[in-house]
Amino acid sequence: MIPLLVASPLLFAFIISLLPALGKEKLSKYLFLIGAFSPWLFISSIVQKLPLGEVVGGWERISGIEVMVDSYSLPFLVAELLLFTFVAVYVYGDYYPKKSENKVYGILLLLHSGLLGAFISRDLFNYYIYMEIASVSSFALVAISKEKGAKKAAFRYALFSLLASYIFILAIGIIYLKTGYLNLFLIKENLVFSKEINVALVLAFSSLILKSGVFPLHFWLPDAHSKADAPISALLSGLVVKAPAYGMILLILTFPISTLMQNILIITAFLSMFFGIAMALIQKNSERLLAYHTVSQMGYVLLGIGLLNPLAAAYYAMAHSLFKGGLFLSVGTIAEHYGTRDLEKLSYRHNKFLMVAIALLSLAIGGISPFIGAFGKFMLVKEIDGLLKYVFYAGGIGTLTSFIKLNYYLLKRGEKVPFPFKKEVVSLSVGLLTLITGIYFYPHLQLVRDLSFIFIGFVLFYILKKLGLFEFQLSPFFPDTGSKLGREINVYMLFLGAFLLFILFNSIH
Amino acid sequence: MKMSLIVRTTTKLVSPFLVTYSTYLMIYGHLSPGGGFQAGVILAVSIILLITSHGYKKVRKAFKFWEVQLIEGVSGVFLVSLGIISLLFGGFFFNFLRGGPFGSLLSGGIVPLFNIGVALKVGAAFTFMFYILLRWVERD
Repeated sequence: MIPLLVASPLLFAFIISLLPALGKEKLSKYLFLIGAFSPWLFISSIVQKLPLGEVVGGWERISGIEVMVDSYSLPFLVAELLLFTFVAVYVYGDYYPKKSENKVYGILLLLHSGLLGAFISRDLFNYYIYMEIASVSSFALVAISKEKGAKKAAFRYALFSLLASYIFILAIGIIYLKTGYLNLFLIKENLVFSKEINVALVLAFSSLILKSGVFPLHFWLPDAHSKADAPISALLSGLVVKAPAYGMILLILTFPISTLMQNILIITAFLSMFFGIAMALIQKNSERLLAYHTVSQMGYVLLGIGLLNPLAAAYYAMAHSLFKGGLFLSVGTIAEHYGTRDLEKLSYRHNKFLMVAIALLSLAIGGISPFIGAFGKFMLVKEIDGLLKYVFYAGGIGTLTSFIKLNYYLLKRGEKVPFPFKKEVVSLSVGLLTLITGIYFYPHLQLVRDLSFIFIGFVLFYILKKLGLFEFQLSPFFPDTGSKLGREINVYMLFLGAFLLFILFNSIH
Repeated sequence: MKMSLIVRTTTKLVSPFLVTYSTYLMIYGHLSPGGGFQAGVILAVSIILLITSHGYKKVRKAFKFWEVQLIEGVSGVFLVSLGIISLLFGGFFFNFLRGGPFGSLLSGGIVPLFNIGVALKVGAAFTFMFYILLRWVERD
């Protein structure tokens, strides 16, 4: 039953790729919709019998591939299905021109099945394969965008993501060599801890950190996520970066993690949170601002992993994919119809739907109760105490400040531009969904705390505005001309190498 | 781009043998070294050899673009539906055709079918990729 979750979108992806040869490209949008919604048929019967696992094909565990849905993978699966449904409704119809429609629908369904496959697998190699299906489809989806520089961003994304994949498969190879299994349950049963396993864990964590876009290795993310089209950005930021996070959860569930490794993960997480917020505060480009917030929010997910609290990481990942997906859809709609991504020119003043949607989603990402963000933060903060707790809350206030800035710019008067009704409804329903799921999971109101956070956020915003931070223009480290691309890639490769060697040297002895 | 007469004749001679070898690999993949992917690569090589020696335009007339696309799509659909059909017999990709004595061709059940699907998919996909890349070169 579980493999059908993956098989049904895959089947429709193949049928869609068949259509141009038969000359029936007109059917592709209907097939896309069926393929995108088909996993819903199976998830309802799976949810009733949790945790549910099976080995594909009825083989024994040693020779087969195990898939499982349990409380760790369920938040990822639900977030995937919800967000992909909204994105499918958003792109259905005439979003893409007739010429490239067929290809985009095929690739989107491949992405869908790749993500679902990664989220159900309990086998390292199978997880790797599905994560790769998802990433390769996302390179293509970034490159399809008409935005200037999208091709280059896609190239850079492909290069670094594939490099990380090679490092990850090397780590899988080492684990296989030392334990003799790829199945995570069998690895856990037969594990004898050794230096080689430690090296493999370091390699795996660094490559997955790169793929999930956490701070020192985030360099590909802002470009790739901000240059793509709005629904694609929503999928990339909401879901594709979650697949590596799920891989890290699988690793911490299987292997014992040393205190040093744990500390490195926690420090990286906090650095990533504040770096993302600091960079987002000085961005002028609406999509880039949201992309830097993904760097910051992935820090929260990594914090859950570093605290060895996989459930919190999973629920935060779910929360993030809902509100960030919704933000990309709603802000992206505005940016698209204004024909620019410059924050100063955009405005939602004339449109009540998008105004409410963006306001709701901003509160959700700031962790205001009773939105889903508050639930995610509540799960995380349970394990933290002392000074770190205040640092954690400071991150939330920083996020709020950045979103007060976004709303401040969008509230300005702008020219009146009509938006299609469907896009407004999709954005608003994601906004309402963050509220409904928040009330469902964590029905608590913390009025005093939240209002004081918002107040501090406003004060901070006012001070920063007076200081002229929002006028500040950070010159890019690498000019956007073609000749410098090679040097840029070399510098970032050095970054990756330095990060990898730093953790390796620290954790081996 | 057309190569010399010797090369063209040799590739014409070698190509059918490669197809035969690839067919052997896909059918007997579960009994001997080989399997779907390898068979598919060899299948694609037989066409890529012809492309390098005879030029893209001439080969495209024999192996049409849409035919390659059709084979690729159909084999993909076949593979997934094989898995879904076996669900009726007890599990995703459950081997429901098991039969025959150990070591014979039939003992594989759905494994040879799966290998044939993979081989056609891989072969068609490689050829397709070459066609698309060569469409940009357009030298011949």
